[in-house]
Amino acid sequence: MDPIEAAKTIVTGLKSAGINLVATLPDINLSDLLSEVEADRELIHVPLCREEEGIGICAGAYLVGKKCAAIMQNGGFFNSNNAIVSTLLQYQIPLLLLIYYAGDIGDRTFSTTGSMTEPVLQALGIRYYIMRDPGDAVELIKRAQVSTEDAKRPVALLVTKEALGRRAAVASL
Amino acid sequence: MKRYDCLKALAALVGDALVVSSAGAMTLEWYALHPSDGHLRVRTLGLCSSIALGMALGLPRRKIIALDGDGSLLMNLSSLATIARMQPTNLTHIVFDNEVYEASGGKKTATGAGTDLVGMARAAGVRNSRWANSIEEFTVAVSSAIKGGGLCFIGAKVTTERTQVAPFPIDEVENKYRFIRHIEKTEQIEIFKSNLPASYV
Repeated sequence: MDPIEAAKTIVTGLKSAGINLVATLPDINLSDLLSEVEADRELIHVPLCREEEGIGICAGAYLVGKKCAAIMQNGGFFNSNNAIVSTLLQYQIPLLLLIYYAGDIGDRTFSTTGSMTEPVLQALGIRYYIMRDPGDAVELIKRAQVSTEDAKRPVALLVTKEALGRRAAVASL
Repeated sequence: MKRYDCLKALAALVGDALVVSSAGAMTLEWYALHPSDGHLRVRTLGLCSSIALGMALGLPRRKIIALDGDGSLLMNLSSLATIARMQPTNLTHIVFDNEVYEASGGKKTATGAGTDLVGMARAAGVRNSRWANSIEEFTVAVSSAIKGGGLCFIGAKVTTERTQVAPFPIDEVENKYRFIRHIEKTEQIEIFKSNLPASYV
């Protein structure tokens, strides 16, 4: 899949999971996905200035009946941690987190951020799965949404470069 | 101005608007004046404005009122830009500015050194932003906001005086359930669906 096809597949996944509000902050690897989210008339797209806002926006929208997803880079996930703990976990509010996995194994940039991503998710007790193939996107997103709603806790999908239809990180040895 | 007097004026006008209040004594004062399941107490400093924005976007025909504080908004100033970008016409953002971190020991905030939150809201793109300098001005501003004045931001400089009221009677999870049940009842929608557990089909 090319990046646009992968982006369309992920948006199909979001919609088939019932998501209708998506809060985002860009990473260059998320560009095509965010363009697809923005272009989709059935999704309310909230472009953020800082990822932690998105946790609040999604929590507020959930409380009035929306199904939400937040799309961000893993650095933005770190930015969001206080809100994840003292709002999502404290109030038992579900949220689907699509986290771009910068510094994934073999990626030359953000390797410190990459190395801390899974340990922080584990420390917070947030279930996560790594999405490497865009062909898995629809199924994984639907499953993650079922789990977050059922557990009333956030669930994260770590989305790698390949899952976004981009060149695998290891290509430039 | 006393915050409690402002809240009293608001209680007379609030109707069926949903209220999101920032952490601290203001929440307790508001709950004492207007106990309602349509009220969410926020526990994350800064997040009040963002949670209110999410509600406003999710329920565009319902009035949403954010009761924010200066310390809280200063921690999430970027929410002003996001609110302005989304322009939710049903959101009224009220900030009680007492120039201190009241719930955190009373140290001075940046507004005590001159930062102008109404000016920041206006510069972020919330055109209808104003200070209310008396209870009368506050009442007029809130009343016109609730009657459908579109997105607006109201700043009120208040003293640090607290009013003795009862503690907040419910925890966060009960607050959530009561709030959602209140939305289900008043909006006649189903939020908690009873899904068939797939493992037992």
